[in-house]
Amino acid sequence: MPLLRLNVNGRPVQTEVEPQTLLVELLRGPLGLTGTHVGCDTSQCGACTVLVDGTSVKSCSMLALQAAGRSVTTVEGLARADGTLHPVQEAFIACHGLQCGFCTPGMMMAATCLLQVNPQPSDDQIADALEGNLCRCTGYVNIVSAVRQAATVMNAEGA
Amino acid sequence: MNAPQEARRFGSGRAVRRIEDPALVQGQGRFTDDLAPAGELFMAFVRSTHAHGRIVAIDVGTALAMPGVVAVYTGADLLASGILPIATAPAFKRADGQPMAAPPKRALAEGYVRFVGEALVAVVADSRAAARAAADAVVADIEDLPMLTDPHRALAPGAPVIWAGAPDNICAEMRHGNAAATAAAFERAAHHIRLDLVNQRLAPSPMEPRSVLASFEDGRLTVNLSSQMPSAVRGGLVDTIPGLKTEAVRVLVGDVGGGFGMKTGIYPEDIAVAWAALQLGRPVKWQAERVEEFLSAVHGRDVISQAEMALDADGRVLALRVRSLANVGAYPSTTSVAIQLLIGPWVTTSVYDIPVVDVHVTAVLTNLAHTGAYRGAGRPEAIYITERLMDAAARELGLDPAELRRRNMVRPSQMPYRNAMGQTYDSGQFESMLDQGLALADWTGFAARRDASRTAGKLRGRGIATFLEWTGGNALEENVTVQVTADGFIELTSATQAMGQGIATSYAQLAVDVFGVPIDRIRVLQGDTDRASGFGSAGSRSLFTGGAAVHVASEKTIAVSKQLAADTLEAPAADIEYAAGRFSVAGTDLGVGLFELAAQQPAARIVVAAGSTAGGPSWPNGCHICEVEVDPATGEVQVVAYASVNDIGRIVSPTLVRGQVEGGAVQGFGQALCEQVAYDPDSGQLLSASFMDYALPHADGFRDFKTAFDTSVPCLTNALGAKGVGELGTIGATPALVNAVVDALAHGMDGAGLGSDAERLQMPLTGERVWRALHGDFGAPVFG
Repeated sequence: MPLLRLNVNGRPVQTEVEPQTLLVELLRGPLGLTGTHVGCDTSQCGACTVLVDGTSVKSCSMLALQAAGRSVTTVEGLARADGTLHPVQEAFIACHGLQCGFCTPGMMMAATCLLQVNPQPSDDQIADALEGNLCRCTGYVNIVSAVRQAATVMNAEGA
Repeated sequence: MNAPQEARRFGSGRAVRRIEDPALVQGQGRFTDDLAPAGELFMAFVRSTHAHGRIVAIDVGTALAMPGVVAVYTGADLLASGILPIATAPAFKRADGQPMAAPPKRALAEGYVRFVGEALVAVVADSRAAARAAADAVVADIEDLPMLTDPHRALAPGAPVIWAGAPDNICAEMRHGNAAATAAAFERAAHHIRLDLVNQRLAPSPMEPRSVLASFEDGRLTVNLSSQMPSAVRGGLVDTIPGLKTEAVRVLVGDVGGGFGMKTGIYPEDIAVAWAALQLGRPVKWQAERVEEFLSAVHGRDVISQAEMALDADGRVLALRVRSLANVGAYPSTTSVAIQLLIGPWVTTSVYDIPVVDVHVTAVLTNLAHTGAYRGAGRPEAIYITERLMDAAARELGLDPAELRRRNMVRPSQMPYRNAMGQTYDSGQFESMLDQGLALADWTGFAARRDASRTAGKLRGRGIATFLEWTGGNALEENVTVQVTADGFIELTSATQAMGQGIATSYAQLAVDVFGVPIDRIRVLQGDTDRASGFGSAGSRSLFTGGAAVHVASEKTIAVSKQLAADTLEAPAADIEYAAGRFSVAGTDLGVGLFELAAQQPAARIVVAAGSTAGGPSWPNGCHICEVEVDPATGEVQVVAYASVNDIGRIVSPTLVRGQVEGGAVQGFGQALCEQVAYDPDSGQLLSASFMDYALPHADGFRDFKTAFDTSVPCLTNALGAKGVGELGTIGATPALVNAVVDALAHGMDGAGLGSDAERLQMPLTGERVWRALHGDFGAPVFG
């Protein structure tokens, strides 16, 4: 089996993987990072969204080996090392942006990517950025509010 | 702020942060597939690719010889082992008096397959990939039999027979009301409205697919799964697996990634997984792929109806007549039949004082997947029919649709009100809800908005639904065990089941009301049949039954603890006062903390169990008003305004109930606009088997809800005064939105629209369908 070296949530990881192993399978299986979820088989639902070198990626549509030498951030890596929640996590709680919580990790990773690229998105831009992430509980109302609030907080912190 | 005041900030009626959320936003949820016990095996299913056929032979030899494969089971294997079909309670009958007809629903098909996706063979291997590969190597020789997907065709003479036990393809039927009195009412009616209506088949689609992990250790079977009804799953396993005793089964449910009714009761796959674990003595897991969810999880709705309303010259509704065919697929369950034959009809007269009905519902067998509960379960179908008729009647009479509804509403003075189906409403102020809804939606300002839309080249329409629903599942008793622990926690154990709705937070708020301790001292334990058994969570029952039990059990815990405190403090119980986690002797500074008292008990805890039984269902109700814009060039429908006023009685968790109504409304939009489980009528193949083909609402849809609650009308049947909330959004949103589109098309650009022809619109109102309607094409007749 090929040897894979990558960085996951700020830590170096070295592991052997089968060539056909998907990134999401590596994360959920050998790495035990079960916060990244699988909700479909066709790359539609976005529950498996993670960041690869800061860009959101559906980890069901990428081979683990394609992440060689790259930095992967999952929901487990969103909070600060001291446990302080990321503004996006805070905002999802504060705005009731989650109900069952299954789509939430993917939603938050997609939102985090958006706010890096576009720190002051309009609601339409938020909805557009989350177009590849499905939620069945919230109707997206509070998800978009949460991303808007996170943007406000992050801009204030950065100011 | 002192401590008691601080604690009350988290009591009922307060907007609080959910206690579920910190784990979920950090990826620390415990969904079933997150469990990975050492030595676990994986199950994969071979599913029928034939809509109807006779199983001639199944060759599993190649699959068995593949690397990593541990076992392969066929339906014949399970039959030989004595595994029984899933039982159907004989609650319903056919017209000939015989019990409801349904072919045996087995864990794996035996003898025949009756829908595409039916589980045929179960393969167990040491990895998911190996199991999947071996499943693909199974060769099933199936002889095709004539099939059908359409319930109307299923009743025609000479139609293919789905199951020999029902040569006419009728599963069951029920006739409600008074046919003769209804016919007489139609005779004297000034207006007679008729519509043929489709409530299309839907896929509930919780984002977490079904997931089951079973293990057998020390003589006990433990089944972890994603379910709304852990005790029913235990019962289903005991009923189907020979020799398995209730006490030998423990069902555990962790986080549930959405249910919406789809995760109620036992599935065939659950039995196969449990059986394999029993046979192999190793943990066995099955995680459904999404395609399997579309193929084999229950679908919702799927009813076609001929609906008629009789009105007098003043717009008073004299009678309703509904003839419905419910397509319950090949393997109906008692639940799927009850939803259409009973639960829907119970609310068919809705908030209106309609003296007589004639409702005849026939559940028909076809070669489709089973139906079951989906958010609303029967009520959305019934309310959709009634609200479409109301709008059609208003159009015929030339009345404002709100005015027509007003003329027919049940008055507060009529409460308790017994409807024509024999159901009794305890409370409701429907006209007040209507007035509040009209104000919130700026009903009278619509003409100006329509003009503005016309200027932008869009057809604007508005739709209203005033409605009620029945909640509780007629399972009205709940018990809660309270444990006060020495380490400072109050644990509430309940057999109701969280599925994402946030019920643990609501229960914790109710406990804070009684105990006056901070909310972080409350823990809610669910999903363990060793600790609590009961109906589970469905039918919007959890808060008004389980929440009432939390309240009662918490108060009893204080009473019991007061006596313990009296013993400790050597004072009469009558002199003991309780506040904010502390007992004290009145007029002294003597006292003992609740948790300290628990530590002093022999078991280092105080344990009190108590229950509560609601006196009847709850009848949440509301007024939902939707405005849409239709692009005449494309037929595309945009929701542009949505206002709702909802009566759910007393509110415990304001943030959560708003989330329920608005999230539910978006699901209702899904039915109105884009969702449809589609099968090829000639082959029975599922055409909508992925999220590419089955259109869920996305984030770019309407989000600007105006949502209000009227809490002035408490429910009178339970101790809390709460009414159900989980299904209100789906029930109200679908008819409100469709009525708005019908209005837009009927009115047209300058009042020169389709008129009453627009009543022929059927869901889902896709751009194509609306565009065709604008060009006079309304598709095939409903009863073709």
